[in-house]
Amino acid sequence: MISSVITWLNDPSHWRDTRLNTGIITQLEAHLRFSGIALLIALLIALPLGLFIGHTGRLSWLVAAANALRALPTVGVLVLLTVMIAPNFHGRTDTGYVIPTEIVLVLLAIPPILSNTYAGVQNVDPAVRDAAFGMGMTGSQVLLRVEFPCSLPLIFSGFRSATLQVIATATIASYIPLGGLGRFIYDGLAQQDFPQMIGGGVLVAALALSADLLLAAVQRYAVSRGISGRISKKQVAAPDSRLATVTQAEVATV
Amino acid sequence: MKRTTFIAGAIAATAALTLTACGSDSSKSGTGSASSSGAGSTATIASKLIMGGPPEFKTRPDGLPGLQKNYGVTFGKYTVTDTGGPVTVSSLKNGQIDAADLFTTDPAIKSNGFVILEDPKSNFAAQNILPIINKSKATDGVKKILNGISAKLTTSGLSDLLTKVQVDKQDADAVAKQWLSDNGLATTGSDASGVKLTIGSANFPENVILAQIYAEALKAQGASIKTTLNIGSREKYYQGLKEGSLDLFAEYTGTILQFIDKTAKATSPDDVYAALQKALPPNLIALDKSSAQDSDAIVVTKATADKYSLKTIADLAKTG
Amino acid sequence: MTVLASSSSSSPLQFWGYFMDHRSEDLGWLWDHTWLSVLPVVIGLLIALPLGWLARRYRWVYPPMMSITGLLYTIPSIALFVLIPPIFGLGALDPKQVPIALTIYSVALLVRVVADGLASVSDETIQAATAIGYKPVGRLFRVELPIAVPVITAGLRVALVANVSIVAVAGTIGMSNLGQLFTQGFQQSTPDAYYPPIVLGIVLCVLLALVLDLSVQALNRLLTPWRRAVRT
Repeated sequence: MISSVITWLNDPSHWRDTRLNTGIITQLEAHLRFSGIALLIALLIALPLGLFIGHTGRLSWLVAAANALRALPTVGVLVLLTVMIAPNFHGRTDTGYVIPTEIVLVLLAIPPILSNTYAGVQNVDPAVRDAAFGMGMTGSQVLLRVEFPCSLPLIFSGFRSATLQVIATATIASYIPLGGLGRFIYDGLAQQDFPQMIGGGVLVAALALSADLLLAAVQRYAVSRGISGRISKKQVAAPDSRLATVTQAEVATV
Repeated sequence: MKRTTFIAGAIAATAALTLTACGSDSSKSGTGSASSSGAGSTATIASKLIMGGPPEFKTRPDGLPGLQKNYGVTFGKYTVTDTGGPVTVSSLKNGQIDAADLFTTDPAIKSNGFVILEDPKSNFAAQNILPIINKSKATDGVKKILNGISAKLTTSGLSDLLTKVQVDKQDADAVAKQWLSDNGLATTGSDASGVKLTIGSANFPENVILAQIYAEALKAQGASIKTTLNIGSREKYYQGLKEGSLDLFAEYTGTILQFIDKTAKATSPDDVYAALQKALPPNLIALDKSSAQDSDAIVVTKATADKYSLKTIADLAKTG
Repeated sequence: MTVLASSSSSSPLQFWGYFMDHRSEDLGWLWDHTWLSVLPVVIGLLIALPLGWLARRYRWVYPPMMSITGLLYTIPSIALFVLIPPIFGLGALDPKQVPIALTIYSVALLVRVVADGLASVSDETIQAATAIGYKPVGRLFRVELPIAVPVITAGLRVALVANVSIVAVAGTIGMSNLGQLFTQGFQQSTPDAYYPPIVLGIVLCVLLALVLDLSVQALNRLLTPWRRAVRT
């Protein structure tokens, strides 16, 4: 079975678009597009919000509310939004199906980013914060120059967890039915073409792993060595290893 | 400070990339079928059209391969929608696709004024509905009940049932019970007592209704029934029937025959039924076929049919 | 969007009426959904406890074990469901594929949680326990694991809530659970949207996730009486 999957993946005709079949490259682009847009939107919403809530301590119920979003069944929300939105779009466009998919993926990505950003700012050593104010920094300077850099490790862990979930879950777009790598899984399932189906699964997993490695590399450059502990051999514990653990260990919902 | 700038830059770069990707996509999806442009009058009508249907239609013998073989029809593009469901209907209605694989009994065809293209070469063989059952579960009592259902099932009756579920939003099981009592089949008894059956259905409403009809009738006669509905494509559920994890399924003579025997030639209802009985594996048997027919059909909108003067599937292969 | 306000039987607000009309079927799916969400986490925890202990006890085991479990997460569940039968020699439609797949996810999640939970026990505590005469095994069960309970239950909450959502995905390939409501609503959404089953499915899934989450929190309180003592 493994060899038939490798054969499927190695067949150049599966990578290019043909008249009736969309190739791996196009579906990979679609998959990246769905995931990238959703992650970007989620980041633009959750990062400023998390920083604000963490810094001011106001509206902290929003974090709990966002975490409650995790209880929403992804397929259910997707189906609901699809039957609501899709019939309103006419002509050669898949916008009616793209919008529900993006909403579902954004809902999925917000909780880990928001709660980790909030926890990151909350966990900044009060002494460090006091010192920053003592040096004469204003509130926003403290937030941007002290609290934000200090909470970067947790923010990254939240964003990486969101990325893994979004990439794995973007396969669900093929249920309603859009493109993306999930197409191979659902088509393979319907055609009982196991090499195609497993090949699709392998591609999604490989994409998720590559994205995570890339983010790990970015994190290495972005996080100050004074915080990550790479400056000395002494391992500095994460601000709250317990929180990091739980949010990192998210399961992809699809 | 430097770190913040870096992150801000990274975010901006990602945004730019994503937006570019977005832009290129909308232009791409706007053209639909790229292969048709500039082909001029030598291009067939089909090559200008986007066809939509379930994933397995791409590979099954009476799907795209059959259309190519029987009519020389090759569509410009094939888009996966669903199995004669809401996505296919609304995509056809809203112009995301030009032709669709729908079921002839679908009330949406009439209500949307869709046009069924005739199939003179019988690419879709006769499709009488009948129960396929595991031999070990086919006691005389069970056979009697199921054959009784087949005797009463008609194409228009089936259309009515489908309208009740899809348009009036009634439940498949309630509709099934009602149909049984309307046809004098709701009698309780013990014809099937002691029989344990798992009934399956494919992922489209009509097949769910049929499974419910079988289930309700057998239950009333004392059978112990488990249902596994909406399993998916035939490619998927047929494995279950063969292995014995499913015992009973409402099938369509032509499609199941072609599925088992890719070279099957029979087209008339009786020939197909006779060929099917020979083709089934030893653990499965076909009970009486009903007169109810529901076949796949290539369906286009009225506007498309008028624009290209389409009447039959063969017209799609003309140039225009 | 006007549909939202309409009072026809297709209105989303009709989900309660839909539930009353289909109580036995819906409750059956709710029950299937419940055990499919819970059982894999219980089995997963039983498997993860020794594995997590190993990863804690032998530090070199930790990195490879975490890489493998991290890798398992990236497999989309729909692919994992259909991969299980050929690997485990089950029939193509064997309903066991769902709990097996979810157990794999749960183990992957909980191994890390158990290992990190055990790591959250401070060295001073371990030294104190050893000093008052605990042998390693007794110390593990009577000191280290109880202290790790809050971390482990936090992981259990994540696993349970995630499972409720993943089980629904299995409904889209015919498995019996609340996901069937989504398939049903989707299919009946022609010629126009039919909201009640879809909304009902979402409501029941959220309620189930909520109840499971609260149960684990209650369990956490029950297992860590000393934390309450400190708080009051």
